[in-house]
Amino acid sequence: MRSAVAPRLHGGVLLCMLACASLGVAQADEVYVVCNTNVSLRATDVRELFTGEKGFAGSVRLAPADNGAVQAAFLEKVLKLNATRYASLWTKKAFRDGANPPLVKSSDAEALAYVMQTPGGCSYVGSAPPATVATVAKF
Amino acid sequence: MRGPIYTLSRRLLALALLLTLWLPTIATAAAAASDADRITELEQELQQSLRLIAELTTRVQQLEGAKAQEQGQARPGAPSGGGRLDAVESKVAQIESASAARRGDDSGLAMHGFADVGYGTRNPFNDALKGFNIGNLDFYLTPRLGDRTVTLFELVFEASDEGAVSVDLERAQVGYVFGDQATAWLGRFHTPYGYTNTAMHHGAWVNDALRRPSFLQFEDHGGILPAHTVGAWLTGTVHGANGGKVQYDAYLGNSQQIVDGVLDMRSGGNDHGKLIVGGRLGYEWTDGPVEGLTIGVHALSTSIEDNALNRTQVRVYGGYGVYDTDRWEHIAELYFFGNEDRSGTTGRHHSSAGFLQLGYRAAWGVPYARYERASLDQSDNYFQAQATGFSYTRGSVGVRYDIDLKSALKLELSRTNTTDRTISRVNEILAQYAIRF
Repeated sequence: MRSAVAPRLHGGVLLCMLACASLGVAQADEVYVVCNTNVSLRATDVRELFTGEKGFAGSVRLAPADNGAVQAAFLEKVLKLNATRYASLWTKKAFRDGANPPLVKSSDAEALAYVMQTPGGCSYVGSAPPATVATVAKF
Repeated sequence: MRGPIYTLSRRLLALALLLTLWLPTIATAAAAASDADRITELEQELQQSLRLIAELTTRVQQLEGAKAQEQGQARPGAPSGGGRLDAVESKVAQIESASAARRGDDSGLAMHGFADVGYGTRNPFNDALKGFNIGNLDFYLTPRLGDRTVTLFELVFEASDEGAVSVDLERAQVGYVFGDQATAWLGRFHTPYGYTNTAMHHGAWVNDALRRPSFLQFEDHGGILPAHTVGAWLTGTVHGANGGKVQYDAYLGNSQQIVDGVLDMRSGGNDHGKLIVGGRLGYEWTDGPVEGLTIGVHALSTSIEDNALNRTQVRVYGGYGVYDTDRWEHIAELYFFGNEDRSGTTGRHHSSAGFLQLGYRAAWGVPYARYERASLDQSDNYFQAQATGFSYTRGSVGVRYDIDLKSALKLELSRTNTTDRTISRVNEILAQYAIRF
């Protein structure tokens, strides 16, 4: 009996690993832009939000944060900038306008915690966000 | 002789051997049967447990409902289900407020800056000098004092022509943000004319080119325009419906003065109270086939005195265009002067200056070419009183190579012809190592 069950178990585990791996790839390909629930933004505002051109949503002061875990995909898919140009853009923006560049979070969990705890907070994550944040757009 | 006992012993031995071989088989079969039974038994126990959990869950819900009813009856003022929700919302609001307050109280201050050093067959700002040079060490601070108050301070250490190090508070701005459409600044700022003066500040790293056009240099580096103003500045952008935005600036401040051949922005005020007033209006395409293109116009008027007490009403107007994308950086600016002698009888004077710069952002660096020209009326007191108020043309080619995200090497070859006060031709080879931190 054991000899019959073991191969099935091994097959199942392997299948799960492959499924999880493919799921992981699919998640990395998707970027969800999320904001604190007190923020009302349109998908078309995302680029300006993360390039410092948009600082307010109504009367709410926006506080964007980058998510290092998903930043490469975000820059490529959403801002259509490479990392060098993005860093350069913010350096110039800060020097010209006195603007402070976005904080950097290191994971989806950190980004979500920041967004939930910060009025005006916005960031992006690589997997479907919970209902405790407002999903602005999915790219 | 083999008797019956021997035969019996042989049979017993054979039987023992048989049992020894057979018993484990029986044990294995028994164990297999035992495993199957055990699994069946566990499955049954699991089903029973699940049923028990379901029953307990139902019972807990019944008890909670009954308890809530009892509490509601016992304390009419106590929050019901909806009341509890309100209480939770209130608590969340309190937490959010506390969080916002903490954010507003953020007094952390990061310091950033720029620095550059270089070598040239001529000093980039003084062609009487040659050799190695240090540019400037530029610290800037942007402390955030709240959601609406913004600040920007730029403190620059630089070496003078004599080698002495001087310190200058190049920008000291405190502003109030009304929204994306308007920010009001007070203090000392870069006068918003053209593009370069508010895009390329003192940090050399910011500029793809090795230096600004000569006539647009800062005052103490030979610029002929009032690059700094001490006063008030309203600036903002208004987004259009079709992928573009209008950028505007309006400002006023202390009229500058020419002191020992150099424009001074009168940071402490001037002795006659006259003002510089000006504005800039531009339109930037943020979408479509010309995304990254900005065109605009600018104008200013200021009353400027020099050491000889000549007073000139300086009127400058012109236009600018910028094409700034991931691939290109093209800049063109034009300035026309219509200056009026207010202390003498020389009347009105007309001069002009401008430049065109073309840059290509390749993967390996940014090659660029620039042509600049200033045609300045030498009978105009405003230019006559300035040490660098002469006419010239300059052609430059250069390249910027980014070593990494924070440091860049630049090389520029240029030829400058001065065409009126003195006639000369100067060729330059300049190198610069610029960093940010």
